[in-house]
Amino acid sequence: MKNTTRQGGSPASIQREKHKEALQCFLMIGTQIIGFLVLSVYPIIWTFRWAFYAYDGIAANTRFIGLQNFISMFTVDLTYWRTWANTLLYAALKIPIELCLAMILALMLNRRLRGSHFFRAVFYLPNIISVAVVGLIFTNMFGYFGWVNGTLLKIGAVREGVDWFAGRGTAFAVLVTGGVWSTFGINVMYFMAALAGISEDIYESARLDGASGFTAFRKITVPMIAPVLQIILLLSLVGTLGVNEFILTSTNGAPGGQTLSVMAYLTRQFVPGFMAAGAKPRLGYGCAMSVVTTVIFAVVALAYDKVSKKMPSV
Amino acid sequence: MKKRLLIENIFIYLFLGVIFVITAFPLVYTVASSFKTNMEIMAEPARVFPAAPTLENYVTVWTDPAFNAGLMGLNSLYYTLANVLIAVVTASMGGYVFARGRFPFKRLIFGCFISLMFIKVGNIGIYATFQVLGLLRLDRSLPALILLNVFGVPIVNVYLVRGYVSTIPRAVDEAAKIDGCDFFGIYCRVILPMLKPILATVAILTFQWSWNDYIMPTIFTMTNPKQQTLIVGLMALKSGGGAASSWNLMLAGSAIALIPVVAAYACAGKYFVSGLAAGAVKE
Repeated sequence: MKNTTRQGGSPASIQREKHKEALQCFLMIGTQIIGFLVLSVYPIIWTFRWAFYAYDGIAANTRFIGLQNFISMFTVDLTYWRTWANTLLYAALKIPIELCLAMILALMLNRRLRGSHFFRAVFYLPNIISVAVVGLIFTNMFGYFGWVNGTLLKIGAVREGVDWFAGRGTAFAVLVTGGVWSTFGINVMYFMAALAGISEDIYESARLDGASGFTAFRKITVPMIAPVLQIILLLSLVGTLGVNEFILTSTNGAPGGQTLSVMAYLTRQFVPGFMAAGAKPRLGYGCAMSVVTTVIFAVVALAYDKVSKKMPSV
Repeated sequence: MKKRLLIENIFIYLFLGVIFVITAFPLVYTVASSFKTNMEIMAEPARVFPAAPTLENYVTVWTDPAFNAGLMGLNSLYYTLANVLIAVVTASMGGYVFARGRFPFKRLIFGCFISLMFIKVGNIGIYATFQVLGLLRLDRSLPALILLNVFGVPIVNVYLVRGYVSTIPRAVDEAAKIDGCDFFGIYCRVILPMLKPILATVAILTFQWSWNDYIMPTIFTMTNPKQQTLIVGLMALKSGGGAASSWNLMLAGSAIALIPVVAAYACAGKYFVSGLAAGAVKE
């Protein structure tokens, strides 16, 4: 009895304590609940609503037009889909290079040679740098009067400087180089974490059975890291398809919008500070495009999840 | 066998060395070029290190009215420190509440917060945020953006702290309860002091993204150039007219923008890395 009074043993006081705890919980995460409703949910509702309107911020021009925004983005104005094509091309070039490179480096560093901590730390360095600054640095280095052209001319690889941002192919080469440079390090970290989970004994017994080198890699390493590999792929996919700031600060779509990713396109069309000066954005139309984009991203994540679950059984 | 291993290792070091050079080069080039005149940058692009190093660019960016690195640096600093403070407070409370709290709709609320990571309407939603700010009679400014971040849901950080709190034995809470602490008291007196390592990670990650943040500060300082952060000012200089004539200033500005983050990484690299899982979810 002595003990229970101290701990609030009577049913009424337990009840009171429970209420107090719940109240304190809500107070402690109060800002987050308010912020979630006002700054996350409300913008989503706002976007989905105006997608069905002709709306440019001026009340007199605003009217309900049903599915018209969606119809015109699927039939008349195909710019949006061209930016998707750019985005997919960028991803198709960048992801394989980046992941293969990261995998090879992780396998090498996993041997715990002298200095592997140092290499790992340096490889991760580009990841912590502002993507905007990365865009600026690569614009400078690949500029017409930049280091790359200067060096190519010096060693006689080209007769005259390459105008990197004047052609779609060369502009993509710059983007993929910069993109891989800035994010391969994080994948090295992921792969190393995955490899660290494989016990050395497995390789040992495989060696006794006569399997080593590439066979061991294919039969042991790949299956063992498959679950992590799926996560790495998904992260890389979502991150690469959503590329925005890096495009804006490097090619900014040059030449003529041919390297704009979908996110960079939407930002340049509708976000204050990135739009052309004095532009009157068709916000309703932008909302429709944002809705479609959101759905596509959700579908990609879901589809990927479904497909990758089946992969091991194939 | 031994000889083969040696050859293998030489090959590996060679490959690592090449990637090392490629990784470090753009940064070395940027810092080296920030000591060149614009003339040298344009005329001798293949030469990495300056023929006649000059501090002129740094003097210019520090005093130039058009690109005031001193003021921008201060803006970056106060935006960053405010966000770090906010993140540490909200993430530690959120993590603690979702790990230990007992209250109605706990799982539902947490599930909603998590689903935020997957449903994003992108930057066009900013117009809805402007509406909310308008109702509160607030102008777009850096302080207004910081206020929005107070109400943000730092879900990745909350998730990190929640995981960390779950590793603390419940006996610790019970002991504090017997000593008369209530739920909030346990957080203040017992749990919070134990969260230092994970909060260091939260602080470092927030420091990094805030300092590097580009889109939101651009939107919120658009009409107010005096509040521009370093990154925003740099990119404004790049997209403005006459960009080609000021590469020296842009590279000096970039070097200044790189220093704090790289220095933090050099000193506290392990916190960057222990937060990797967090960065992953965020991407």
